[in-house]
Amino acid sequence: MSEAAVKIAIRGLSKSFGANHVLTELDLDIRDGESLVIIGASGTGKSVLLKNIVGILTPDSGSIKIAGEEVVGVTGNSRDRINRKLGMLFQGAALFDSLPLWENAAFGLMSSHRMGRDEARKKAIDFLKQVGLSEADANRYPSDISAGAQKRVGLARAIATEPEILFFDEPTTGIDPVMGDIIDSLIVSCVRNLGATALTITHDMESARRIGDRVAMIYEGKIVWVGDVAEIDDSGNAFIHQFIHGSVEGPMASLIAANASV
Amino acid sequence: MGLLAAIGRVFISFLAATGRLAVFAGISVSHIVRPPFYPRLLLRQIIEIGYYSLPVVGLTAVFTGMVLALQSYTGFARFNAESAVATVVVLSITRELAPVLAGLMVAGRIGAAMAAEIGTMRVTEQIDALSTLSTNPYKYLVAPRLLAGFVMLPCCVLVADIIGVFGGYLISVHKLGFNPSVYIKNTWQFLEVMDVLSGLVKAAVFGFLIALMGCYHGYYSKGGAQGVGSATTNAVVSASILILAFNYLITEAFFAQ
Ligand SMILES: Nc1ncnc2c1ncn2[C@@H]1O[C@H](COP(=O)(O)OP(=O)(O)OP(=O)(O)O)[C@@H](O)[C@H]1O
Ligand SMILES: [Mg+2]
Repeated sequence: MSEAAVKIAIRGLSKSFGANHVLTELDLDIRDGESLVIIGASGTGKSVLLKNIVGILTPDSGSIKIAGEEVVGVTGNSRDRINRKLGMLFQGAALFDSLPLWENAAFGLMSSHRMGRDEARKKAIDFLKQVGLSEADANRYPSDISAGAQKRVGLARAIATEPEILFFDEPTTGIDPVMGDIIDSLIVSCVRNLGATALTITHDMESARRIGDRVAMIYEGKIVWVGDVAEIDDSGNAFIHQFIHGSVEGPMASLIAANASV
Repeated sequence: MGLLAAIGRVFISFLAATGRLAVFAGISVSHIVRPPFYPRLLLRQIIEIGYYSLPVVGLTAVFTGMVLALQSYTGFARFNAESAVATVVVLSITRELAPVLAGLMVAGRIGAAMAAEIGTMRVTEQIDALSTLSTNPYKYLVAPRLLAGFVMLPCCVLVADIIGVFGGYLISVHKLGFNPSVYIKNTWQFLEVMDVLSGLVKAAVFGFLIALMGCYHGYYSKGGAQGVGSATTNAVVSASILILAFNYLITEAFFAQ
């Protein structure tokens, strides 16, 4: 694989919270224009990995290059410039609860793209419709809508600026299967039509198969398997096998035992 | 040895917290003066701090003025100096009581609200979301609040000065039998611009401190509802103590002149 084709290169990434070593020397390449799905058990550091890439958390050590540019330790205006290329859906949606839904979806358009309120509102409503909300919902507030709908507004906020790189933290968790299918196709079309690179965390293997070009599995702070989505059924990897079959037997038994004791 | 170590630890953590607060304040102030600005957010805070605090501040001022008239009358009547009541009322209100009491009332109202709002935004990752949308949380959340506090508390205190003096007038004229025009004349006679001005300077500093404490404790809150709860308490308690401490410092600075 040529260097130019890699959009995000992560090398030796480590992150601990006190004695809790969440990521240990993690390496991962995300190719330009691909949709990579990250799977792994709860609490293995998937969200922490995303937050390190977008600069919410600072790694203890290691390197993260976005389009060839080192981003670890970059703050202030340079970080804002990098973040303009990114869009992120948070696991808990993280909508601004003092703003109506349309202003949430339009936030990036108005802040980093300097779009006027009226134009941004029109565009935001288009995106809200794409995620299954109506124009009448646009003036409601995040606390007035269900968690699933909040997640969809978070998705609209992430994609509204049409960023180069998209991060989705469990986009379909808490969303009904029909809407989940719509969300999945939306993610696929973002990647296809915008030529964006997408990194999606999910627990839903159906959804992983629909949206992923490749799949990476994280366990004990490292990537234990990366491969094409077509290969996951006969990967020959014990971790993947255990995860996709939801089996108690397998190499992740230690994790299950550890969780059971908590 | 254990005791010394414990004292040392407390001292070091106090210094660390002071340093962190100073850095927080420095960054926030630097964002007040650098674009982009958020006039819409500033206006919201101005209304929140200035307009909505008026009832609380006004009630505090009117009762304080009334009590002050009665109490100073009690004292001055003992050596036949009743005519000094008007002067004492206006000086106490403008120099001291209006800024301090308004500051403490607004600390309870605004400091708590700011800490709760920003703290909730912290624990629900809304502050993280701001930075992924290329928006600086200091500029977006903290700077408008600090500026609004700095500007609006003096406005509230100016209103409180007038209402407080009016409260004293009501009691003096209707209860203590002062002649209205003489009372008003006495009020103006010994009042200097500096008396009002020093009160307004205090108010500006208090307004800044209230907003700073609210934002700081909210910004660094962690955990869930409990973390936000203790951020709120800490914001009000620390703002109140700082108001009383700075009140002394500013009074002394003006006293020397
Ligand atoms: N800000 C933080 N402070 C301390 N510990 C943290 C913090 N964020 C995450 N952790 C810890 O890091 C570990 C990984 O958390 P993370 O949220 O990345 O899990 P995850 O893989 O996303 O799980 P899930 O699938 O349940 O979302 C957990 O043990 C968590 O307690
Ligand atoms: Mg997670």
